[in-house]
Amino acid sequence: MKLKHLAPSAAILAVGALTLSACGGASATGEEASGGGNSDLKGTLTGIGASSQKAAMDAWTADFTSENSGVTVNYSPDGSGAGREQFLAGNAQFAGSDAHLDDDEVKQGKEACGADGAFEFPVYISPIAVAFNVKGVDNLNLSPDTIAKIFKGDITNWNDKAIKADNPDAKLPDLKITAVHRADDSGTTENFAEYLKATAEKTWDAEVSGDFPKDFGGEAAQGTDGVVQTVTDTDGAIGYADASAVGSLSKAKVKVGDEFVELSADAATKVVDASDKVEGRGEGDLAFDLARDTKESGAYPIVLVSYHLVCSSYKDQETVDMVKAWEKFVISEKGQKSAADSAGSAPLSDDLRSQIETVIDSIKVAG
Amino acid sequence: MLTTSDNSTAKSRTLTSKQLPKATPWVIAVASIIVAIIISFIAFGGFNIPVVAVLAGLINIVAVFALSMSYEGRRKATDRAATTIVTSSFILACVPLISLLWLTVSKGGAAINGDLLSRTMLGMKGVLDQQYVAGEATLSGGFYHAIVGTVLITVAACIISIPIGVLTAIYLVEYSGKNKLGKAITFLVDVMTGIPSIVAGLFAFALFSTIANVIMPGAAGIAKTGFTAAVALSVLMIPIVVRNTEEILRLVPMDLREASYALGVPKWKTIVKIVLPTSVSGILSGVTIAIARVIGETAPIMVTAGFAKTLNWNLFSGWMSTLPTYIYDSQLRPVSPGDAALASSERAWAAALVLVTLVMVLNLLARIIAKVLAPKAGR
Repeated sequence: MKLKHLAPSAAILAVGALTLSACGGASATGEEASGGGNSDLKGTLTGIGASSQKAAMDAWTADFTSENSGVTVNYSPDGSGAGREQFLAGNAQFAGSDAHLDDDEVKQGKEACGADGAFEFPVYISPIAVAFNVKGVDNLNLSPDTIAKIFKGDITNWNDKAIKADNPDAKLPDLKITAVHRADDSGTTENFAEYLKATAEKTWDAEVSGDFPKDFGGEAAQGTDGVVQTVTDTDGAIGYADASAVGSLSKAKVKVGDEFVELSADAATKVVDASDKVEGRGEGDLAFDLARDTKESGAYPIVLVSYHLVCSSYKDQETVDMVKAWEKFVISEKGQKSAADSAGSAPLSDDLRSQIETVIDSIKVAG
Repeated sequence: MLTTSDNSTAKSRTLTSKQLPKATPWVIAVASIIVAIIISFIAFGGFNIPVVAVLAGLINIVAVFALSMSYEGRRKATDRAATTIVTSSFILACVPLISLLWLTVSKGGAAINGDLLSRTMLGMKGVLDQQYVAGEATLSGGFYHAIVGTVLITVAACIISIPIGVLTAIYLVEYSGKNKLGKAITFLVDVMTGIPSIVAGLFAFALFSTIANVIMPGAAGIAKTGFTAAVALSVLMIPIVVRNTEEILRLVPMDLREASYALGVPKWKTIVKIVLPTSVSGILSGVTIAIARVIGETAPIMVTAGFAKTLNWNLFSGWMSTLPTYIYDSQLRPVSPGDAALASSERAWAAALVLVTLVMVLNLLARIIAKVLAPKAGR
């Protein structure tokens, strides 16, 4: 019964700690973290916000830090609401958000960021696919009203005449439709519902929210992966999910104007270009009212658009330089391509990019 | 029944009544499993583990009871049925544990390698995972930064909570007697034991962001550090340390203290030289159990230390990842969504294996410490 015995265990702990520190610390690909890059930027950027951007954010930080090894970019995917709140409280240098600021938040932005308020601009456009699994059917045309009726539970069989009317050539089987939706609160559901509300208001009479309307029936699945899995496993199933996640499932073409538009990155980009900016905002506020009911030829209107929020002015030159470099990289062709490769998003159009660049250039030191 | 007359004659001839052979329960158990499998094949068209398990359990109890009833009589049959139910419950309780360990070892073991242990997520992007899933590259990324974060934050939490916890327990046992302050502390410790971990995290974050706001207005974000996480963990750890230490200190015989006082040794010296050495093994194993309890906390770390992708040795500045937050983040928000999410999932399982191993090693260590430091029985 001596305290002497403590000495060996303390020694073991110390040795363990040394071993831990001696090895490791290489980057994800195993290369030693080198002082690569040709910039002299140094510091930490903190962002909080939408989890939808997480995969793209991983790609952006990876490429950005390989060019600017002195900068650490942290992103906490706590959710859009949390991101906006924390950003406006000054707890983060930038925020990611699936929704643009509302009028109250614009006012708060003036307190947090100075007279010009907060800047916001879209950085991440992600198309949402309507994926289906019906044996023998590869191509499917759907009008918004039909989609709404299927997910509401009004159309229950694949040989329904509403579906037949849009697909005269397809051999639609006599098969029960299993409409799969998200069980959890999600931005995908919200955007999907927003689209249906805008294009098929008579049928889709539920409030738009992140939760799928409970009275509408259908099968619920947890998370994007759950929806994709259920649709893949069930003959006769149809569901909506982020386009990057649906894999080999067939995607329905959606009726826009008089034509049926196939999901593609270009088509998703087009709908943002066809949308109008929210009125009554400052010059640096590139918030869009998405034109879900657009008639623009070749535009795919079921998209999720995620924004970045930055301040119009920061306290010191260092932060300003870092934020400028970071956001410029995010919207650059290279950054957008990297996100498209890793996260399956649709790149911004050149026109929009040049607008955003003007906004980023006007970020300045507070004074 | 046929056996009634036989039984009475048997009883009159021997002292012991009829008994089933010792191996009978096992034979019946195996037989009921086989029967359950056959029924499962006939009724459900295939081998279905839950169905077989439930059926086997029911058949086993009924068969044991019936057989024993017809051969040994009612008393013995009830006894055997009770034994069977108790044993089945024990096996049922082991199922989740074993299945969890098996899943972690098989999934984590398949993915884990030295590279994962020595790399961070610096420079990690979805393309690398897509290449891995397509079979064009090896698994990139790793969780060295998370291991370092786990160790640093846990050690910091220990440094804060062990002195406070042990000293509080000493006060409660040696000094407070049954006074009001002692009772109040005991009550508060009990309340603290029930605090949900996320509340502890929010508390620590709120505390430090308030302090940060006073020092540097408009920069509350700098409050997200490893140290804040350590404080949050201490809030969870202190009550456990106090409780465990208190129990152990109360076990130290009064005789020892009185003998020491009788020799004129002052109270503080009695505590340091007699009470603590006697109970050190129990205190240390209590502390180790407290560590094992907090090392797997996810929620408070998420709130207080963020999700870092890179290595950070500084507890007082910058975000940190720990193994639990790393697992949570990888599984819920993969680096690459879609098919390549598999790669993130594999990294998460490997990290889970490391975490489970850490906790097990700590528990083993607690036992070894208790053995080695235990007071010698002989004199």
